[in-house]
Amino acid sequence: MNTDVTRREFLATVAAAQGSFVLGFWMPVKAHAQTRTPASAPAGTVWYEEPATPEVNAWIVVAPDDTVTVRIAQTELGQGVWTSNAMMVCEELQCDWTKVRPQYASANRDAREKAPAWTLAVPGNGATDPKGGGVPTFGTRDRTGVAGIPDSLYRRMRTNAASSVKDGRYYLQLAGAEARERLLLAAADLWSVPVAELTARNSIITHARSGRTVTYGRVAHRAAQIPHPHPETIAIKPPDQWTLMGTEQKNLDVPLKVTGQTVYGIDVRLPGMKWAAVKACPVYGGDVARFDFDAVRDMPGVRSAVQFPIPDPALTRGRIFSGGVAVIADSWYQARTAIDRMPIEWDVPPEHAAVNTAMMRDGLLAAIDQPGQVRVNQGDVDAGFVRAAKIVEATYSTPYLARARMEPGNATVLVTDDRVDIWIGDQSPQETRFSASTITGIPEQNVYIHLCHLGGGFGRNGNGPQAEHAIMIANAHRGTPIHMLWTREQDFIGTTYRAMGLARLRAGLDAEGWPIALDVRTCMQRDGFGPEASFDVTSRYHVPSYRYSSHTTRFHVPVGTRRGVGQAAHEFYRESFMDELARAAGRDPYLYRRELLARTNLPYKADMIKALDMAAEMSGWGTPLPRGTARAIALEERGAEAEGLATISAMVHTVSVSRAGKVRLERVDVAHDTGFGLVNPLSVKKQIEGQVVWFYNDAMHQATTIADGHVVENNFDTFPLSRIGENPPEINIRFFSTGHWLMGMGHDRATSVQAAIGDAIYQITGKRFRDLPYGNHDLTWS
Amino acid sequence: MAFDLVVNGSTHRVDADPQTPLLWVIRDHVGLTGTKFSCGIGQCGACTVHLDGRAVRSCSIPAATAIGKPVVTIEGVSPDGTHPIQLAWKEFDAPQCGYCQSGMIMSALALLRERPHPTDADIDARVTNACRCGTYYRVRKAIHLAADLMGK
Ligand code: FES
Ligand code: FES
Repeated sequence: MNTDVTRREFLATVAAAQGSFVLGFWMPVKAHAQTRTPASAPAGTVWYEEPATPEVNAWIVVAPDDTVTVRIAQTELGQGVWTSNAMMVCEELQCDWTKVRPQYASANRDAREKAPAWTLAVPGNGATDPKGGGVPTFGTRDRTGVAGIPDSLYRRMRTNAASSVKDGRYYLQLAGAEARERLLLAAADLWSVPVAELTARNSIITHARSGRTVTYGRVAHRAAQIPHPHPETIAIKPPDQWTLMGTEQKNLDVPLKVTGQTVYGIDVRLPGMKWAAVKACPVYGGDVARFDFDAVRDMPGVRSAVQFPIPDPALTRGRIFSGGVAVIADSWYQARTAIDRMPIEWDVPPEHAAVNTAMMRDGLLAAIDQPGQVRVNQGDVDAGFVRAAKIVEATYSTPYLARARMEPGNATVLVTDDRVDIWIGDQSPQETRFSASTITGIPEQNVYIHLCHLGGGFGRNGNGPQAEHAIMIANAHRGTPIHMLWTREQDFIGTTYRAMGLARLRAGLDAEGWPIALDVRTCMQRDGFGPEASFDVTSRYHVPSYRYSSHTTRFHVPVGTRRGVGQAAHEFYRESFMDELARAAGRDPYLYRRELLARTNLPYKADMIKALDMAAEMSGWGTPLPRGTARAIALEERGAEAEGLATISAMVHTVSVSRAGKVRLERVDVAHDTGFGLVNPLSVKKQIEGQVVWFYNDAMHQATTIADGHVVENNFDTFPLSRIGENPPEINIRFFSTGHWLMGMGHDRATSVQAAIGDAIYQITGKRFRDLPYGNHDLTWS
Repeated sequence: MAFDLVVNGSTHRVDADPQTPLLWVIRDHVGLTGTKFSCGIGQCGACTVHLDGRAVRSCSIPAATAIGKPVVTIEGVSPDGTHPIQLAWKEFDAPQCGYCQSGMIMSALALLRERPHPTDADIDARVTNACRCGTYYRVRKAIHLAADLMGK
């Protein structure tokens, strides 16, 4: 079943579907193209297409009609990067925003070219210099790590850690600035005038002295040939000069999303393509003992079956998933029907098969009492407890949680003898490129990743092996494009989980109710993410003696970076405990927090107080509410423990609980830090609104449990998602500016929903619940 | 077995088992990929289309059910994205990842056809699609705006 595919056919297919947008593929310029036609292409066909217009630089192409193509190196998964990255480039380019077309950057070209040396040094004095480049996460690229911007052409192609603005802003603005300067040089050259006499605005270059104008499109060809003589002198605009950044811009791909035209990975169709349905062993670490393809080989459309091993942990950042089997058929429904009927026996490690949630909870409870890693030890905590007038102690827990993005894992892969092509929505194409090369033995320079939009992300494709599965299957079917699609149930096996966690907080209060000693212990499995979040370095709320230790145990469930990472659980623990302390002290939880922040000498304490004050005022804090309704407040911060990047917000949640125990989040008032400036405030608002829903689900509904070593909740009937009827009818968002660059806001805002609903339930029902989700508890009252 | 389906006003000859879920016939035989697969068990609504004017979850009904009845998918709402519901969605920049939005729009449109001025309670009862990105706040506003635009 060898099938010839030409790039030209594929381009035609996708171009027809994408309207005016260019998405999901890349046409390299001649200098970078492999000129050789692959053996699988019919004689005489052109594998590569030449773009009509040469690029000004690797990020920007200006066509004669002034259309500006901006290359996007992160993946659009709903966060608005398709738009905000383009805004950062176009702020400097000073082009006509209505003519901007985003296009994914080439991960293949990234394997072949380096970024210009003059773009590598970041100017300014770090996080608190408005004229600087911020503090991007530089460092060598570690394929199994999560941090670091490589010096390859498109730098950081990962989409993670809410860092697309933080890490990309400097070099994206610089790309726009360099292109603008070169367009100006081209016009100066055209008119033989000094470049200093020219101005650029809205894609038009003007020479005021002679009254001449020229559009970018008319000089772009010339600009492509004129290098800048001193690129290291090019500076980016500080926020007080921004004209596009900082304005609310609608997302450029929304028109495609209301007409069904967006191409996600699942929508990729190639000539001759076959479909693969997969079953991997439900118990992690398990493998296929045997399967009986003969039982299904005569079913309609069925072509073949292939077993694949546990994906190499070196390609999945050390996580151990499972081995499995795929059935390949003409359509996915045929493949899926066949694999459902195919007898498969699993080889399950007995020590994993014996594991269930209750045992794991016991394991965490045992570990939290053992000596842990003491991360902070300030003052004399034990002496503080001896002196305390009152001691408050609470143990909280959070379950394993799946990301459950709406698009199930999938990838389309074509392996030939010297080249790999992958069509995928991928949060880490540089790692996927490495996986493809490792699995097939074909060099990374011959791996082409055609990025597609992603139907939700929430943590680097779930850190799951969707690409690795598809590559292994396609490698066994060289010459045939294989579209592998997970079922929803398989997606829950293929993802990694937010680690189940536990925290025990103990405070000694003085006679006035202020803490004099605080002991915080958190516990999760050894490889869980963010073990130090929210508690490290120092207490955010003033306490003279503070000890923080993290404790670990080992579990076989693969864990990863789910939206919120460590902050999600840890801010639930911290803010819930602050509410309990305020109640124990008989003080208002807002003013209690406010006073304890004021007593610290944290660098951003004024910003945190501002956030609390603003959210409280917006919500009408202290004004009467009907019986059955309550307000609760909480602080959200990342980076507030030290001077540096930070994001600070506070929210007040107004919550009702009916006597029958039905919880409703009625209203959310949000005060949010802009730092020196937000790139696209509209996207930020949407991200906040979305995270309210996300953490509402964490708080009320979602939990992943383990039985006999496997995940129990594997579809939306058992892993529920809230619907519009549960959504807060009112979400008010206000911004305040601060004197630092933001650390990002796409994953750990609205963590406050969790503690706030808990405290509101307490206020209304008198019952305090410390194990999420609240939906598991009896919330009725009379 | 081959059968005819009328999708967005045109007749398609489909060569598939008529018990194949309508979703897969629309996506893989008719070739319209705007309708999405997510749960496959009728829970999420990503696969919502109109069958005979009613919103249905196409992953959970056999294609045979649709023989002789008009099917409308997101691609059939308007040829160019200018239906009032699409204009309203764009006005509020409602989608995030967008994966649920085809189904969300089809559910909302079916509601608006039946109740030109839906209350919030109507929306809660009838637009029960899941959105993991949490676009509900803007979706609700967009439905009300669409009602206004469609009433004009
Ligand atoms: S895919 Fe049909 S309801 Fe979820
Ligand atoms: S917009 Fe992403 S699931 Fe709804």
